[in-house]
Amino acid sequence: MTVYETDVPGVGKKFELEIGGGERIVVLIHHDGKREVYRRPDEDADSEKLFSVAGKQARQLGSIIEGAFFQPVETDEVQVPLGDAFIEWLDLAPDSELVGLTLSEADLRQETGVSVLAVQRESETFPNPGPDFSLAAGDVLVTLGTRGDQEALEEMLGEDGGSNA
Amino acid sequence: MAVALYELGIALTALAIAGSVVFRYGLSVIPAYILVGVLVGPNFPSSVGDLSPVALGALGDVSLTLVSDSELVAGLAELGIVLLLFFLGLEFSISQLFGDSRRIAAIGVIDLLVNFGVGLAIGVAFGFSAVETLFVAGIVYISSSAVITKSIIDEGWVANAESGPILGTLVFEDIFIAVYLAVLSAVALGGGSLEEAALSVGTAFAFLGALLAAAWYGSGLVERLFATDSDELFFLRVLGVTTLIAGVALAMGVSEAVAAFFVGTAFSGTDHTERIEHVIAPARDLFAAVFFFSIGLTTDVTLLSEVALLLAVAVVATTASKLLSGTLSGRVYDLDPRRSLRVGLGMVPRGEFSLILATLAASAGASTGTLGEVVPAFAVGYVLIMSIVGTLLIQNASAIERVRERTVGG
Repeated sequence: MTVYETDVPGVGKKFELEIGGGERIVVLIHHDGKREVYRRPDEDADSEKLFSVAGKQARQLGSIIEGAFFQPVETDEVQVPLGDAFIEWLDLAPDSELVGLTLSEADLRQETGVSVLAVQRESETFPNPGPDFSLAAGDVLVTLGTRGDQEALEEMLGEDGGSNA
Repeated sequence: MAVALYELGIALTALAIAGSVVFRYGLSVIPAYILVGVLVGPNFPSSVGDLSPVALGALGDVSLTLVSDSELVAGLAELGIVLLLFFLGLEFSISQLFGDSRRIAAIGVIDLLVNFGVGLAIGVAFGFSAVETLFVAGIVYISSSAVITKSIIDEGWVANAESGPILGTLVFEDIFIAVYLAVLSAVALGGGSLEEAALSVGTAFAFLGALLAAAWYGSGLVERLFATDSDELFFLRVLGVTTLIAGVALAMGVSEAVAAFFVGTAFSGTDHTERIEHVIAPARDLFAAVFFFSIGLTTDVTLLSEVALLLAVAVVATTASKLLSGTLSGRVYDLDPRRSLRVGLGMVPRGEFSLILATLAASAGASTGTLGEVVPAFAVGYVLIMSIVGTLLIQNASAIERVRERTVGG
């Protein structure tokens, strides 16, 4: 993986990154902090400008791509990376098949692969709920699982599971 | 003073309007600023009636001599020259030069031989004296960093392979013009005899050598000297030192532009580069605009009819010569024919440096005779045409490429 760096006199710096198959990403960093990103499909093609960002957005985009983006906690959806798995706060909709079931009846671990770490009800939190803990509409499940597992669970939680939007 | 301020207000407002108009069409601001200077300056056109073949009655008598060629404008324009060259030195990329010296030297020499050669031929063919010919050759040789850089960013070429030889050639031209300005100003301002010329060239190089040594060994000092949290103080220090050194140089008969270039290189190795870009670039843009304006102000466009043939020949021959040298440079970089042609198209615009040479010619010739009047008028007409033609060629490159493919194939 080579990165080519060149000075562009009067403009700033240019970085070219090979991303396989002869395709390159070209990033132009202007002296004034503006970044322009181009994609060059192959060596003979012209570069197409994808977008340009400045200052704060550029740094945010960079850390998202780097996988190091830290978002301040939002109550409706928080994700803490734990390798492949992450922790998610999911809402239990009133129309979900799980309402009224105990955790052992729901058997989420078997069905979806996620573990329920805690349940938040109104202002109370039940850490490590036991197998006979029964779920109620409006509960917020604090769950641990991979992205696929979490998505499977979100489907069982019914309408707008996973967010209060 | 009230009159001067009022005139300056007219000048800046007219520049702002003209700049906004050309900006909308993606054209270069340089010719627009020059034309504004021509329009509101003391030379023709001096009234609205001059512009219109139709009799406009009372409207035709409205004066267009709104801004006089004052000391104030000339001083601000001088700051424009100093800052343009200061930034050239600041952005001068030693690493790029040494990292790719073999290829840059090759394309730089091709560019110099072809275009400077054509310039010399034009000067000789039109019966100019030796010094005048050297000016003409310099004016047609040097491409415009400002116009070209902006155009290749706008067109997205900057991310393609053709940007290598284009920017490489500009780096070479920048060094050459720094040296050339030093020699030419020493010769032109040094007066008649060979002895005097040699002496002034010697003085110039001694001064610039000292400056270069200071730039080389003093970067640690520069680093400390300019370390301040206040942008205002930083700005004043940089501008103060640069202008003072340039002024001292000029008083010693050395090109102020070249001195400013070397001051810029002293900063280029320090951590201040980025801050200068932020803090001082707006001042450069302002004073550079006044410089182009003042060029228009001092130009008598009626002289252009006298040099019409010279202009026509120069425009055709030097557009062709840049296309040729650029295409060859593209081949040096192993580019395909299409991209090589783009390098040629990209090098066509001429601008600020040709005008700086014109300013030098005007001051050397005391604004009279061939050197003082004809050469500067030619330079202004030439830059007006070449900056516009060059920008249009770059913008319409794909159409030109298609024509080339149909005629020669591949």
